Amino acid sequence: MSHVETHSETHGHDEGHHEPPEVVDGRQRMAVWIFILGDVITLSALLFTYLYLRGLNVHGHWMSMWGYQGKTYAQYENIAGSSAGLPAPTLIHVKPMSASFSWLVTMVTVLSAAVVVMAERVLRATKNAKTFALLSGLATIVAIVSIALSVVQLHHIPAIFSANNDSQVMAYTAYSSVMMIAIGSAMVHVGILAFLGLGLTIRAYRGVLTGEKWYQARLVRIFWVWVALSAIIVSAVTTTINTIH
Amino acid sequence: MTTTMTSPMSSSHAPASTGGGLARKQNFLTGVLGGVLFAFIAWALSHHFLDNSSRTYSDLVAVFTGIGWMFGFWLGIGALNAPFAWLIGSDQNRADQLYYAGENQGKVRYWKYCTDHKVVGVQYIIMTMVLLGAGGILAMAIRTELIVPGNHFVNQQVYNGFVAMHGMLMILALIVAVAGPWANFVLPIMCGARDMAFPRLNALSLWTLVSAAALLLTTLAVGSLPVGWVVLAPITDQAGVGMDFFAMAILVFTVSTTVAGVNTICTVMTMRTKGMTLNRLPIFVWGSMIAAALGLYAFPYFFLVETLQILDRTESTSFFVASGGGQGWLQANLFWLMGHPEVYVILLPAIAALFEIASVMSRKPVFSYRTAIAGMAALAGLSILVWAHHMFTTGWAPTLGGPFMVTTELISIPTGVFFLVLVGTLWRGNIWMKLPTVWLFGFIANFIIGGITGIYLSDIPIDNELHGTMFVTAHFHYVFVGSVLFGAIAALAFWYPKVTGRFLDEKVGRISFWLTFIGVQVTFLSMFISGLKGMPRRYSSYSFLFEHTNFLTTVGAYTIMAGMLTLLGAVITSWNKGVPSGPNPWHANSLEWMVPTPPPLENFDVLPVITSDPYNYGEEKVNS
Repeated sequence: MSHVETHSETHGHDEGHHEPPEVVDGRQRMAVWIFILGDVITLSALLFTYLYLRGLNVHGHWMSMWGYQGKTYAQYENIAGSSAGLPAPTLIHVKPMSASFSWLVTMVTVLSAAVVVMAERVLRATKNAKTFALLSGLATIVAIVSIALSVVQLHHIPAIFSANNDSQVMAYTAYSSVMMIAIGSAMVHVGILAFLGLGLTIRAYRGVLTGEKWYQARLVRIFWVWVALSAIIVSAVTTTINTIH
Repeated sequence: MTTTMTSPMSSSHAPASTGGGLARKQNFLTGVLGGVLFAFIAWALSHHFLDNSSRTYSDLVAVFTGIGWMFGFWLGIGALNAPFAWLIGSDQNRADQLYYAGENQGKVRYWKYCTDHKVVGVQYIIMTMVLLGAGGILAMAIRTELIVPGNHFVNQQVYNGFVAMHGMLMILALIVAVAGPWANFVLPIMCGARDMAFPRLNALSLWTLVSAAALLLTTLAVGSLPVGWVVLAPITDQAGVGMDFFAMAILVFTVSTTVAGVNTICTVMTMRTKGMTLNRLPIFVWGSMIAAALGLYAFPYFFLVETLQILDRTESTSFFVASGGGQGWLQANLFWLMGHPEVYVILLPAIAALFEIASVMSRKPVFSYRTAIAGMAALAGLSILVWAHHMFTTGWAPTLGGPFMVTTELISIPTGVFFLVLVGTLWRGNIWMKLPTVWLFGFIANFIIGGITGIYLSDIPIDNELHGTMFVTAHFHYVFVGSVLFGAIAALAFWYPKVTGRFLDEKVGRISFWLTFIGVQVTFLSMFISGLKGMPRRYSSYSFLFEHTNFLTTVGAYTIMAGMLTLLGAVITSWNKGVPSGPNPWHANSLEWMVPTPPPLENFDVLPVITSDPYNYGEEKVNS
């Protein structure tokens, strides 16, 4: 009894075992979707972290911490080093980060996604790779703007000079901590988008990606839209559920 | 049974390579050199520019040094070639692909960023042995310290570091012990594919693991990790820079497993040959795919929790620091959300390989094939609902104890199904008692003990008594050593002839089996008694009350080590001097046995068409 027969549709080795582009594209699309599923788990864990710490509000310190307010690091070091030593710390409350700025960063990311969606549609409809290169280049620039804005956001995360345990350091409340990882995560994702967008632009410009070979544009677009969607979810949660009443 | 897939690979008319120069000279050595160089540069720069009076200074230097190592290693080994080639629109042509697949490169290809799935499989075998060896040496150090009461060789800090590193090295080793070698070497052939879906990602998963293992071993050299392998926060605040290297190793490791998981699923779902329907898939393929999917669910938690640990240590965030609103239970939850599914990421490929072996060695179909698949899927599903049983005694959410106890106990149902399938497959079969079968029976015996003691521990009242004792240690060692390791060795003995063309030495292999099997019983049964008498885990010294059982445990552990060294000797000597096996020594029906040994590049000259499942031994017997 044989359960194996030979397949007549073969290719010679010299040409390589090339598969049709749509088969390869289907496989790559599946991979992108599975990567996105993994990213969904990571995002869920991140939101769980945010909501868990906010829900617990351990010792009332979700947005507060014992420390020293309104000091620069140099001032703080001077006080700590003076003969009088540090005064008793006070409980400092931090405010939520600017919701409008958060949404601005998110909308810039969404804009970059919209440009990529448009670029792909134009490529598939007109087969014009040069126009696609221009649009994907534009999307890349918009993504880089989003990263720059995220850097500004990171710079404005409220920090406190605290007397924490055995050392005096700049520290972050639970709220600020989760905002840091959320913004950092968004930056890494958009950084990947910028890399991919730049790649698409160069490839289209060099004629590797054409009106007939547009599959990679779709792959990148799928991931780009997911990143924009995840940015919206994170902004929606962190700008509406933040303070403890 | 017929097969005509024998033509060797030829590329005489392949287009000229575009990837010459430095890219052709990259190998493991250039990877290490690149890693060391970039690590040194990162260390020097961070040393120079960072404020050395800051509390986080040494942690930041460690993190930057680790990043330098990883970037340098990946650059040196060639992992970043393809992404940058893609970026500039310079895709590989056929000649490049063949070069990176290691065509005509002999043994050198095993030290390179090779995309051939069979080479990656062999590299995983070596990697697994290195990890097991390092973890095993630490196990011997631990047991030597515990041979009699009192501190003798190391202090408590060093001892705890040994325990943590032993645990993590062994966990990593077992995660890749079956899935690494065999989901790479044989899985694509079993599906009737010419390679994995994404060969470059395949190589990436292996070499990122290598870079992660180097970071993990670095931990030992920089003060180790005296906080246990679960690295519970906030005690991790007390750990030195070893904790930073550990956390970075985990980040890289999760990248490796994610990439490997995506590759495995895509290979199975999109690269099966004609006629290889899902219900004709060899069961090992199912097991590997379910484990890969479970890993994709579990490891993002690990990634996140270790990222948070790094931020707490380097940026003074308060994820796990109560004075800033953080909470240690967050770390415990995120860790165990990964930690329990991970047990089944480890176990499922081994179980599935044993189903395969049981069928071939008893000349019978897998008993209740669909139930076995359903059992594996159910186990994966349930495993994501049980994490809090690791936290019964921590005080977290006591009201959830009952539900988590129930879900944990439910796990015994699919686990019971596995026994049923294994025993049902072997039942009244013409059992061929060769080396893989011997290890299979060892697995069955050990897994019964490991499984049943797990049911005890899932009950909250008993867990309250036994948590944190050597009983728990004995339980999970019966699962990991007695079961998974036995399964992994059975798989090694089974597919070894396909890799080398030679049998793994039967006589030496059996000596190894008996040493290991007896060693496991002596080691862990006596450890159960220590635990029942109340001996706590993670102590380098103990009461005289536990003297005799600990002495026995250490003697047993040495016996296991003797068994493992014997096996290592057999693996090395049989590679070139073993008894020749031919292409199908077990007279099996699945596709990996239909191709020549060793399988040629791209496996099949002519793609096969499958007309029935691979377990039709009964039909074969009737027809003949």
